[in-house]
Amino acid sequence: MNIRCAKPDDLMSMQHCNLLCLPENYQMKYYFYHGLTWPQLSYVAEDDKGNIVGYVLAKMEEPEPGEESKHGHITSLAVKRSYRRLGLAQKLMNQASQAMVECFDAQYVSLHVRKSNRAALNLYTDSLKFKIIEIEPKYYADGEDAYAMRRDLSEFSKKENSDESALDTKGNTADGEKDKINYRQAISHDHSGHDGHCC
Amino acid sequence: MPSSDPLPPKESALFRKLLKCYEMKQYKNGLKLAKQILSNPKYAEHGETLAMKGLTLNGLGRREEAYKYVRLGLRRDLRSHVCWHVYGLLQRSDKKYDEAIKCYRNALKWEKDNLQILKDLSLLQIQMRDLEGYKETRHHLFTLRPSQHASWIGFAMSYHLIGDLEMANSILETFSQSQASIETHDYRHSELLLYQNQILVEAGNLQRALEHLKQYESQIVDKLAVQESIGDLYIKLGQPELAVPIFEELIHRNPENTLYYSQYFAAREFTEAADKLTAFKKFEEIYPRAMCPKRLPLDVASGDAFRSALDSYLRRGLRKGVPPLFVNVRVLHRVPEKASIIEQLALQYYENLTRSGHFSREDADANLPVEPASALVWTALFLAQHYDYKRDTEHALEYVNAAIDHTPTLIELFMTKGRIYKHAGDPVEAYMWMDEAQSMDTADRYINSKCAKYMLRANMVKEAEEICSKFTREGVTAMENLNEMQCMWFQTECALAYQRMGRWGDALKKCHEVDRHFSEIIEDQFDFHTYCMRKMTLRAYIGLLRLEDVLRRHPFYFKAAKCAIEVYIRLYDKPLKSEETIEEIDSENLPPSELKKLRSKQRKAKKKAELENAQAAQAQVKREQHQKSKQQANQEADPEAPQLDELIPEKLERPDDPLEKAIEFLKPLQQLAKDRIETHLLAFEIYCRKNKILLMLQSIRRAMAIDATHSSVHACIARLAQALPKLTADQELNESIKIVIDKATKELIGTKSVQQLNEEFVAQKDASIMHLYEGARIMYELEPSKRETAINLITSYDLNKVKLEEATKIYEALRDGVFGDCDAELSLYRAKCQQRFKYARLFKDIVDAPNAVSTEDNHVDEKTKPNAISADVKTADL
Repeated sequence: MNIRCAKPDDLMSMQHCNLLCLPENYQMKYYFYHGLTWPQLSYVAEDDKGNIVGYVLAKMEEPEPGEESKHGHITSLAVKRSYRRLGLAQKLMNQASQAMVECFDAQYVSLHVRKSNRAALNLYTDSLKFKIIEIEPKYYADGEDAYAMRRDLSEFSKKENSDESALDTKGNTADGEKDKINYRQAISHDHSGHDGHCC
Repeated sequence: MPSSDPLPPKESALFRKLLKCYEMKQYKNGLKLAKQILSNPKYAEHGETLAMKGLTLNGLGRREEAYKYVRLGLRRDLRSHVCWHVYGLLQRSDKKYDEAIKCYRNALKWEKDNLQILKDLSLLQIQMRDLEGYKETRHHLFTLRPSQHASWIGFAMSYHLIGDLEMANSILETFSQSQASIETHDYRHSELLLYQNQILVEAGNLQRALEHLKQYESQIVDKLAVQESIGDLYIKLGQPELAVPIFEELIHRNPENTLYYSQYFAAREFTEAADKLTAFKKFEEIYPRAMCPKRLPLDVASGDAFRSALDSYLRRGLRKGVPPLFVNVRVLHRVPEKASIIEQLALQYYENLTRSGHFSREDADANLPVEPASALVWTALFLAQHYDYKRDTEHALEYVNAAIDHTPTLIELFMTKGRIYKHAGDPVEAYMWMDEAQSMDTADRYINSKCAKYMLRANMVKEAEEICSKFTREGVTAMENLNEMQCMWFQTECALAYQRMGRWGDALKKCHEVDRHFSEIIEDQFDFHTYCMRKMTLRAYIGLLRLEDVLRRHPFYFKAAKCAIEVYIRLYDKPLKSEETIEEIDSENLPPSELKKLRSKQRKAKKKAELENAQAAQAQVKREQHQKSKQQANQEADPEAPQLDELIPEKLERPDDPLEKAIEFLKPLQQLAKDRIETHLLAFEIYCRKNKILLMLQSIRRAMAIDATHSSVHACIARLAQALPKLTADQELNESIKIVIDKATKELIGTKSVQQLNEEFVAQKDASIMHLYEGARIMYELEPSKRETAINLITSYDLNKVKLEEATKIYEALRDGVFGDCDAELSLYRAKCQQRFKYARLFKDIVDAPNAVSTEDNHVDEKTKPNAISADVKTADL
């Protein structure tokens, strides 16, 4: 087993793994969008033969109203059933979270999870210290509600040099909507932007 | 340069508004404005307005009118850069990039410094990988706008791509020196520095790269990339001791990265296993939760050290109940010594757990606490997987059944049981166990996907689609949704199932769908050419370009292409009759009972076909509605994306030129999968049918370069030798070609006759079953009178040395008349195979339920197959 940052070559395997494991699927362009906008944030777990058996697909979000800086977001996280109980999901998440802090100064990371997905919910609350922020009704295409969750990332920024001020970074918030790649039209209408988790 | 046909102020203002509307995608308003200008009789034929009207129509999806007006406009004003630019944009939206490039070039003739046109041109050039052209355009843009950042980046990148790394580096160097103050934590600047560093490394300028990184380290936010690179550079520059703390730190950051450990060893200059094992011990103590320091020693250790490391590794996994325990040690089976230790230990655990609840007798004697009851189940599962890996079906089933008796709720057990049957050659039994597993956890898509895959292996396409539909979007069929989501594993498996069933058109449809995904993914690059330059994620962007260059190297493409080529060859050899004549069967010579069966079968088939037609018609209506609503939704958003022809199986399986179609699938393989021998064997099959001697030779040469002893290579040579006299006589060959052919044949064949060649081939003392099979085929082809000798050659071979997939191939060859009619030999061989491969469905005397094996042979020229499923052990994943 090997856990490392995802390269553009890995994105097709991540899509394959996603299609096997999760009901929320995306076309390749959406994976490219992630991998080419935030190349440091997505991670993969591969087996001895180099097959991708789990991945985390992550991005950054603009600050919410009233917030100072951007935060990370988990678009999709999956580990093949046959590779469960190795703690891969947790390890993938921690690597991605550290990169969010280091490269993009994220204060926290957010995600959505199906209300019925007990296994994932346990991972997020128990092992990764996520907190439920709110319930988003009918978030998923099939009508299921989602929990919106957050994890504070200050534990990761402590590892950084203390002389680096986190507030100096607001210089590059110029990228508004116009910088977004036009991927949405390429995605099945119902699942676009709806995150998937399975672990 | 002003317009060649200027408008007066009022109309000119309207025209500017028209341009604005197009940019804002307000197409309807745009049309109104165009109409206002054109309604003035003086300007009714104003070229640029007509062209813009066309482009606006294109935005509304009215493609044909669009072309009409754009062309009309261009004819009215051939010297207008606007008209040429518009024509280029239209072609580009139609994905006719080569044509679009020509248009832009024409536009630039009349307005050579137009920034927009130059930018548009550069995008097409990079998309089409016209790297020289890209460099020129980028240079031009740079001279026009030297103050813009993007000009410098694009300029440098164009040199990087043509391989002039020195120039690329010096452009970036100059640029970074010209930049004023750098804010801390500037992501883009950081990415640019790392991009420049990548160029230095690729140029082999390692010392310079190291200095560069150290100099700018504080400005780079991607700390991981910096550390990984500095560590690697220290090792490569002969200062490994400096890399040691770096890799220690990286292991601390991510103890599950295998590369860090091997780099750490390189840094410590460890070569001895003992040193590495000690280091792993140390890391295991520091990072007790990490897997790597526990698992990696198993690769390094041998003998007793291996045994004791494995012992604690397995015990931990079995105690905890880790499903992937077996797959994580699977590669160790390649070393026979390790495989046997694995087996010994697992058997010992099983025995002692059964007896006393301990992993070993020593534990029991020492009165240690007993292991959890589940340890026995996980041990049994492990053993089942181990024996399955060895293709020892008997033992594998024994252990998996014992485990199921113990814990009938553990889904992994049923999945493993299914997999055992799959490997044993019984796809039907396999799917039934996988279906059982699936029914135990219907909320998990992974097991659902596995079940669908197993159904496809059993040729149950309908059932597979139905299972998949539990997780696909409502409102469309699962097939459509899976296609929309580019679900290629499903589509390739579907294609192969259809191919096995002789449903050629359906198989081709799936292959083409996969091919289209690859085209689409190549298309996906387009938006990123400008996007990444803004985001400055240039390393990832270069990675994308390099990936796209070899995209069709992907195994999904290989599978689909191979299937398509085989089907097209089949359709060339035995073209299908036109659709009307399919139903007529020669019923005269059948006995009444058979006739009755046939009639009833025909009736059923007809009913089924009618039902399917009705369903298809319904689906078609639905699809059209869906398409319409989608079009409406997309009208404003996506005027691009040209409509592709619908893939209709009935048309696909009656191609005008099947071999040309096959070559279309072959070309990417020859370019990107040239290291796979199958590519060249497929090429030979095609060119041999096209009587292309040189290409046949080329295919053989390339195949031999990969594996000259491959059994099929001999068959190719023999077939070439057989065909040569006729080919060289038929054609008026050019002298120099003749010389090439003579030389090559001398090398390949020498002065021997084909018979001699073949006799020597089968007489080789280490000839494998597949060698004998190819030899026997040639023998029979050359001299049909030697039929019995030929058949005997392969059927008398010791079956214990034959693998299931080999036996399958031979059985199918006998069955399908490769050696003429040989019913007696066939049933004899079948009986022998039945003994050897007890579980393989192909050799069993069973009549399959109609839904299990599809007998929908609406192609009468197909042989009746008692068992259409073939064991597919080769491609089976463990």
